[in-house]
Amino acid sequence: MNKLLDIFLEEAKRRLSRARNIVAVTAGKGGVGKSLVSLCLALTLAERGNSVGLLDLDIHGSSIPLMLGLKEEVRADKKGFRPVRKYGINIMSIGLLTRDSPVLVKGEDKMDLITSLAALTNWDNLDYLVIDLPPGTGDETLWTIRVIKSLESAGALIVTTPSILSYSVVRKSLKLLIDEGIRILGLVENMSFFKCGEEEIRPFGYGTGENLAREFKIRLLARLPIEPMVEKAIADGYPPHLVSKELRDAFFGLAEAIVRFMEST
Amino acid sequence: MHEWSLAEAVINSLIRLAEEKSITAFDEVEITYGEIMELEVLVFRTAFEELSKGTPLEGTRLILKEEKAMFKCNACGAEWDLETVEKILAEEFSVIEEPLGTRESPLHFLPHLAPALLKCPSCGSRDFDLASGKGLYISRVVTRT
Repeated sequence: MNKLLDIFLEEAKRRLSRARNIVAVTAGKGGVGKSLVSLCLALTLAERGNSVGLLDLDIHGSSIPLMLGLKEEVRADKKGFRPVRKYGINIMSIGLLTRDSPVLVKGEDKMDLITSLAALTNWDNLDYLVIDLPPGTGDETLWTIRVIKSLESAGALIVTTPSILSYSVVRKSLKLLIDEGIRILGLVENMSFFKCGEEEIRPFGYGTGENLAREFKIRLLARLPIEPMVEKAIADGYPPHLVSKELRDAFFGLAEAIVRFMEST
Repeated sequence: MHEWSLAEAVINSLIRLAEEKSITAFDEVEITYGEIMELEVLVFRTAFEELSKGTPLEGTRLILKEEKAMFKCNACGAEWDLETVEKILAEEFSVIEEPLGTRESPLHFLPHLAPALLKCPSCGSRDFDLASGKGLYISRVVTRT
């Protein structure tokens, strides 16, 4: 196909650039809690009075609609898809269109699918757009890099766990983002510890967040506690960061740090 | 109504092209679109005319060319067209179009979603390609500088 102009990619960039700030949540490693961090960060930024969008780019393993128990059908008008609204945030996800059907999309078609989704979604005026990326450094990550690298208002938030496996994979992801000129907002260490009385137990190891922060000269913005009730919150479809004061405080601290970072640069 | 957002995307791209190449006017713009998008040509033309007012695209001769959609299964080799798709498309997947509240398949908005919404009518596999007729692009422009 001889494309004289890549209409949709330009439109996607134009629409995303209308958000005052963009936070791409990534890790490289699967199962570290990117979607949880994306969702709770978006909810917390909204609680602070911001207009917030959450774009789920996990095409094959979309989990945001499940985490919020979204059953609504997507609506479209002259300006394109209207994001679904819940708990004060605006959500768009392929999962809203495909429900529990497996999404088999390959190579260039996947890039075109993401581009079309972004080009046809009407976010209106957002203070923050949070992008939830899938594991790995595949098409979705590459697409996001292409789109956000030209935007001064965008950056990447990296999620890790204390595990040595996470260290090794997240390190590669960080290298890629830095090589591609993406601004790194900071790190979040998920599943960092749980409290037993006054004692902090760290079952998955020590120091990964600190070590990555030191090595790449970036900030460790939050260490999130292990909260078993998060699973119940997800099953019941209510905001997971509200299950404990400790988790809520951690996300408020993270949101505060992101806002300060964005406003200072 | 996705014709309006598509027209907006086309116009924004061409305005950017005009700025980059110092184009003062477009005499002709040819858009090729995939059959699967089920573009309402009259609505698209109206949207294009309305949204291009006051831009270098105002008064442009707009040519719309439809590209036939063809599917090919990688598992059994079967080939099929859009007419077959309309018969097998599951109604559980839909987008509600405002203001009328009509239901449309997500396929018309996002043709690349086909393997999530359809199976091969011959063998039931989702491993198929939409070989043609899935995109929308500007295939030709005649400009003045």
